[in-house]
Amino acid sequence: MAINQFNIPADTFVATALFFSYLSPDMEEARNWKQTFVNIEKKYPQYLRSVASATTVAQLESKLWVIEELQTLKIKPKVVGILAGWYSNFLTPLLLERLNVDFIHNFEMDKDVKDISYLFNKKYKSNNRYKCDVVDVMFEKVCNKENEYGDFDLIINTSCEHMFHMRKFREINMNCGYGSDIVLNDDTIYVLQSTDDNQYDDHINCVSGPEELSKQADFVDILYSGTKVLDSGMNRFMVIGR
Amino acid sequence: MNNILCMNWGDKYDDSYVEKLKEQCEANCTVPFKFWCFTDKPEKDWHIPIPRQGLTFIKAMSGKWIPIPTTLDEFYDEERGFFWAYRKCHMFNYGQVHDESSFPNNSKFLFLDLDVIVHKDLKYFFDLPNDKPWIVRGWWNDILTVKRNYAKHKSTPLNSSVILWKKGQMIPVWDHVTANAELIFFTYPSLDNYFAHHWYDPWNEDNGFLRGFPQGDIYSWYKGNTFPDDMELKKLRTDHKICLFNNSTQIEGENDDEIKKLWL
Repeated sequence: MAINQFNIPADTFVATALFFSYLSPDMEEARNWKQTFVNIEKKYPQYLRSVASATTVAQLESKLWVIEELQTLKIKPKVVGILAGWYSNFLTPLLLERLNVDFIHNFEMDKDVKDISYLFNKKYKSNNRYKCDVVDVMFEKVCNKENEYGDFDLIINTSCEHMFHMRKFREINMNCGYGSDIVLNDDTIYVLQSTDDNQYDDHINCVSGPEELSKQADFVDILYSGTKVLDSGMNRFMVIGR
Repeated sequence: MNNILCMNWGDKYDDSYVEKLKEQCEANCTVPFKFWCFTDKPEKDWHIPIPRQGLTFIKAMSGKWIPIPTTLDEFYDEERGFFWAYRKCHMFNYGQVHDESSFPNNSKFLFLDLDVIVHKDLKYFFDLPNDKPWIVRGWWNDILTVKRNYAKHKSTPLNSSVILWKKGQMIPVWDHVTANAELIFFTYPSLDNYFAHHWYDPWNEDNGFLRGFPQGDIYSWYKGNTFPDDMELKKLRTDHKICLFNNSTQIEGENDDEIKKLWL
């Protein structure tokens, strides 16, 4: 079945092309992406529109922004936790390939999204560099989710507008564990993104700017704070801090 | 002891709804039961007053003055309107502890919204197995849409218009709400959505803390019966037990005339 029968908007085609231009040429991975869209249409047709929404130029811009600022700050994380990472089709490959991260752990609340994220990140799942667990990160601790690579040294949440203030996440995970097994602490660096775009019902926590986003997370050390107007016209705010 | 509970607060429904519900229950329940109404305007002897903001002590049905917490009120943001039916949570706590001062320990509770029509004998509900609490599973929802919109907090598969539990069984829900009130009131647009996220599993519907009433028991006047085969709206199905009239998109009071015509 031809992929262009699926009514995937031009935005998705352009974003996919741009995305692969940022990764080293990998025809096998490109074929996997193509097959993934075919498989989603067959197995999860109700998610096809949502996958397209996660695969736009604006989505790619916001994820590349994370990579660029981490590089500028010379932050080289080894184990990264992604909160509500959705399909993580852009962010996981970019972190693993461009920042040489060892392991990504995505925490998502939707079981089907978890499975679809494995389709996109098949290669990384099979070599144990990507894992997704079904977790509501505002109610459940993530620090007791074991991985063989060690503690998280970076937490990324590019979905802050969809949930309660990040201080809650920090509270429930702070100093979780015992002795040397403490997984998250005051030194853990956070990358947070949000928006002031309140036109969507599920944007339950829009903020006025990066300052409010930092405040919601109770940051005491702000390493980066900025605003970007994305291809979609949305204002995107990002803060990196602890 | 079988108990039928309802709740009435604010101005959306006048007392005629409570009277009519009581009348329907008396006409359609062949096992003994007691009828209680949680209300912010206690007038009848079967009223259980809901404390208004700032009122700490209320008169309970026993005639004693006992405190009921008003703590949840402070978390409700009227402008956002999230988790607006939170007052229903009081029934999961009131008289549910392990003593017999309010209700005997083997008590069962059937909660009914005020805007329902009872078609069949409510004995059916009291005879259901009570290893888990029961709630309306909106069979008119497309389960694929429910799953797709799960993270968006939309297309909720549950409806709290009818809930059945045995004494004490819903205390974990009360405890969870009170322990996480700020977060829950901020996050969930409705009580039903909260239930669907924390006490039910749309991916494994037999696995949740709550169990959905089976297909054929309860349907919706405004949303249909069973997706996709029986979705005709505004149709009475008198072979079912209960018809619901709630509709999250309607303006308050808009359906008053419609349900009142069907009361006749």
